[in-house]
Amino acid sequence: MEAGFPIWWLSVILPVLVGFIALTQRENAKLNAWLSAITLLLSGVATFAYLLAGSIKEGVVDPYKIDLSSHGIGEFRMMVDGLSAPVVIGISIVTGLVALYSIKYMTTRIAEMRHEGESPPGIGSYFFLYDLFAASMLGMALATNLIEFFIFLELSLVSSFLLIAYYGYGDRRKISLLYFIWTHVAGALFLVGVLYYGINAGSFDVVKISQAGIAYAAPAYTVLATGAKIAAALVIIGLFIKMAVFGVHMWLPYAHAEAPTPISALLSPNLIGIAGYALARFAIPLFPDVFVEARDFLVILGLVTIIYGGLVALRQTDFKRLLAYSSVSQMGYLLLGIATLTSYGIGGAMLHYLSHAFGKAVLFMTAGVFITELHGLRDITKMGGLARAYPLTAAAALLGFMHLVGMPPALGMWSEVLITIGVVKTYATSSYGLFILLVAALIVAFGISAAYAFITMRRIFYGQFKEYVKNMGVKPGIEVLDGFKAIVLLIAIIGVFYFVAISPVMDSLKPASEMIAALLR
Amino acid sequence: MEASVAVTGLIPWSLIWMFPYLGALILALLYLAGVKNEKIYGWGSVLSIAVSAIIATMAAQKFYAEGPIYSLSTTTWVPWLNITLGTYLDGLGVIMSLVVSWLSLLIAIYSVKYMEGDWGVQRYFFFFTFFVASMLLLVTADNLVLMFIGWEGTGLASYALIGHWYTDEEEYWVGVPGRKALGQPMYFEPSHSGVRAILFTRIGDIGLLIGMAVLFLLTGTFNIPELAASASSWMGYLATKGILVPVLVTFSLGALAKSAQFPFHEWLVTAMTGPTPVSALIHAATMVKAGVYFMLRFVPIFFAGAYALLGANPAAVEAAKEYFLLMAGLGAVTAFMMATMALVSNELKLILAYSTASQLGYMFLGAAAAGLLLDKGYEGLALGISAGLSHLVSHAVFKAALFLIAGWLIHVAHSRFIDPMGKYAKYMKITAIAIWLAGLSLMGIPPLSGFFSKELVLKTAEEAGFGWGYTLGVVTAALTAAYTFRMVLRVFHLEPYEKHEGHEPHEAPGLMLWPYTILAVTSLILGLYWTGTGGAIAKAIGETLSVEESIQLSLHITTGVLTVLSLVFASIIIVWALYVPLKVDFRRLIAEAGWARILHDFLYDRWYINSIYYIVIVGGFSALAYLLGVVDFGIDMLYHYAIPVLFILGASALRALHRGKTNYYMMLYVYFAALILLFVYLAWG
Repeated sequence: MEAGFPIWWLSVILPVLVGFIALTQRENAKLNAWLSAITLLLSGVATFAYLLAGSIKEGVVDPYKIDLSSHGIGEFRMMVDGLSAPVVIGISIVTGLVALYSIKYMTTRIAEMRHEGESPPGIGSYFFLYDLFAASMLGMALATNLIEFFIFLELSLVSSFLLIAYYGYGDRRKISLLYFIWTHVAGALFLVGVLYYGINAGSFDVVKISQAGIAYAAPAYTVLATGAKIAAALVIIGLFIKMAVFGVHMWLPYAHAEAPTPISALLSPNLIGIAGYALARFAIPLFPDVFVEARDFLVILGLVTIIYGGLVALRQTDFKRLLAYSSVSQMGYLLLGIATLTSYGIGGAMLHYLSHAFGKAVLFMTAGVFITELHGLRDITKMGGLARAYPLTAAAALLGFMHLVGMPPALGMWSEVLITIGVVKTYATSSYGLFILLVAALIVAFGISAAYAFITMRRIFYGQFKEYVKNMGVKPGIEVLDGFKAIVLLIAIIGVFYFVAISPVMDSLKPASEMIAALLR
Repeated sequence: MEASVAVTGLIPWSLIWMFPYLGALILALLYLAGVKNEKIYGWGSVLSIAVSAIIATMAAQKFYAEGPIYSLSTTTWVPWLNITLGTYLDGLGVIMSLVVSWLSLLIAIYSVKYMEGDWGVQRYFFFFTFFVASMLLLVTADNLVLMFIGWEGTGLASYALIGHWYTDEEEYWVGVPGRKALGQPMYFEPSHSGVRAILFTRIGDIGLLIGMAVLFLLTGTFNIPELAASASSWMGYLATKGILVPVLVTFSLGALAKSAQFPFHEWLVTAMTGPTPVSALIHAATMVKAGVYFMLRFVPIFFAGAYALLGANPAAVEAAKEYFLLMAGLGAVTAFMMATMALVSNELKLILAYSTASQLGYMFLGAAAAGLLLDKGYEGLALGISAGLSHLVSHAVFKAALFLIAGWLIHVAHSRFIDPMGKYAKYMKITAIAIWLAGLSLMGIPPLSGFFSKELVLKTAEEAGFGWGYTLGVVTAALTAAYTFRMVLRVFHLEPYEKHEGHEPHEAPGLMLWPYTILAVTSLILGLYWTGTGGAIAKAIGETLSVEESIQLSLHITTGVLTVLSLVFASIIIVWALYVPLKVDFRRLIAEAGWARILHDFLYDRWYINSIYYIVIVGGFSALAYLLGVVDFGIDMLYHYAIPVLFILGASALRALHRGKTNYYMMLYVYFAALILLFVYLAWG
């Protein structure tokens, strides 16, 4: 259905406008944060309302469009359907609430940098870049056209690069450059593959919108021609780099660990997951037969990514770097789900985007709590027993980990159930040996996620205070639930809310995933 | 069978599990609101559980009068996966919810006193109530996903409560500080035990999830009654594919892990770091029974499927038997193995924990051996399932009593070891009577309930023709009598090994005394009126999904029963003789005799299984993680060092071409011009 007014364009443009206001309100963190939060939450609230009304199922399309058909580009439209609803909700809630979290965090961070003799741009510039970054991610999730998607992709890269370069930690100039180069290579590969499609098709529209509803454009070339295969490989590799799949993941631990923490909370679950979404939304419809051919390889790659990321995470001593490797591992879940090429797996992957968004945002924000309140403490070996002083933060972190591991009452359970059904559907009933192998692989993969989650909980929160923390005067007691920490807890609780209120999300996800799976016959 | 089920709305019967969830939610909100008064949390928890207990009792009344209740929501919760919100109260569900809710209520009351003044009491009651709700959801859920949610919820609560004292002071550990076996530490802090519990059970749960996915894909539903109705078709299909056994085993992994059956038994032992009421409720009376519940629920379904395929699909029948045999075998092995460990332990709660795992083995043996009675038809099945359920009920009662008593004794002695305990019968008469009642029940002495239920399990194994399982069961009965008798004798009647300093022991306060006394007396009453108890259980099983037979659970005195009884008495006499007239100093014996030390250490260090797990599994994955760390470093170097260095070298090589001298450029110009001319010439030629 067509929305009554340009709700999706507005939800992208308003945050950008608010960003420009931020440039004039240079020192007013609270005003900027609240304006950002309200405008960013718009799309999530609207999507949820449409979900409840049941209209997302057929796709809610923005009435406004930029028609570039005469240039052979197609139409820039914006739309939310069942496939993108979890992504839009994830981006909207996380970016909206992290904006509020940024008030305390970034004020502290900027003061700290100034204290160290540096002169970072003020809080106004931060919120300008922040809004630009968040809005461009929303744009990617709402886009129906490949060039439209690519423009938002580039915008997100530039804004996030600057955020890391200005406010990051460690060797931030070098790391931001490293991030910039990696993701640009990814973007370029993606673009070349996309051009092959668009030039053949005479348009870059993937999602065709008509009165009858939404449909996917049929590939305009012999799908298994060499050119198409190369193009497919370029698109997929480009997205894999963005997603940080095993082998091309190396940029992620640097960028996500050293970004200012609110930005880590956006980069990690939101931005990289969009590449997973793009695999399902764009890459499968463009090159369905390539996916069918590469299915087994992709499933194995997904499993390897889960296990690799999880085990390497287990060895990290830096909390944020641990979370970064955990993100690599979580992207394995998305890839695993999509690679099963079943509606369950694809739907599960999209739902896992949302679970991971809640879970990882909470965890990065937890890391941020300690960085802010315990003088930049990130080293896990110096932590321990912190639940005694931070019981609510510990509760939030536990819920965050449960989202990743898939334990109820965290939303992650639903994505785990769906992905498991997808994997089983693809392989399980084929033979004795394969079934055993599959059980073993899933137990190892899911088990390792649980292992790093609960072992990390123990290392950080349980036991006695270490000297380092004691010397800072941390004492047992009930922590004060200020706005800063309330936001962390709130996101964790929203995740539990979605666990219960899963029905509208799944109802719309089902037809959308089945539509993608149907392309793979 | 379906016709006799009364289908009602979601409310009121689903309140059985919804009410404690509501209670937990309110406690959480109170905590966020800054309410600190611990009385509110304790009695709030008691209140919400009491409501459940009352509803469960009403449900039981309705069930015994009118038959099973199916309380269902009008809308589907998750249409994609066809998941309803439904509470299914057949015989099994009714008995389980009665046991869970009433035991939880008594133990919650005990906890109010036990946890008084604890710094984490609010968190304790939150997770306690959350646990009760999850457990009740687990046993009454009408579909697998809902059951799985309850299942995982109990796991979460168990994790949180095992690690309740996560600050890890030494008094809360399990094991002797500093003790090592095969180089691996054999002492565990609460936070460590919590991680062990959740990881061990999580492994099983993934298996359960995979099994659920297989069933869903074959039948399009998670609904348990529907799965039961179509059992022969999906079992037949899986059997023709040759994967029936692995699918059933994978599906049951969750049950094995939850009920601490070998090879997943290790987590339960160290779970004793939790507060004692938690050990009583979660790690003895209820949660660890979830796996047994699973078997009692699904063995009849697998049985029904195989029974329908008798003659039609021999492969499926064989596979089902193979599965039943494996499960029964694991139960028997666990029962024996854990009983041997209990013989030598000197930690009060550890003895009880070993005993719990051992008794759970009996229940597995009974439930799974029921499946082996395919040739005897539904009568055989009903016998085994009733045996498993009877033992579950009687064990829940007497083991909860034993743990609650242990909680008081540990408090009195200021030690978790039994060495400073002794002669307590002199100071606490009522507690002594209670522990004797519960202990005799565990030993299997008539007329206590434990006698009847254990004999029923053994009878099932015998009738199923499961020879070595039966033998192990009989040996375990003798061992059980020995370790239980030793424990009660040493703590209540003999002089302590180490003199106790401080206050004189005294009777427990009423809020703690009464719950365990009531439980111990209940165990006697259940046994005295076994015709009533057994009749109720038999009727319940007769009205249970897929079981369509009613049987009598009366026990005939056979030579088998007499043999077991005489072995039990013999082992009691041997223990008495060793400790009282002979006064054997076991500690000196272990210190001096080599063979005694080897045997003692083997049993005391849990057959070295824990150490082997740490060396092989933890060590293996740590090595792999280390290796992957190296790989990661390699990838890092490749991208961020090797490739940049190549570019730098390339750049400097190219830069070398540009020297800024005119004649040098002229020379290059001439060379390249000549080269191009040469190519042009060749191309034309």
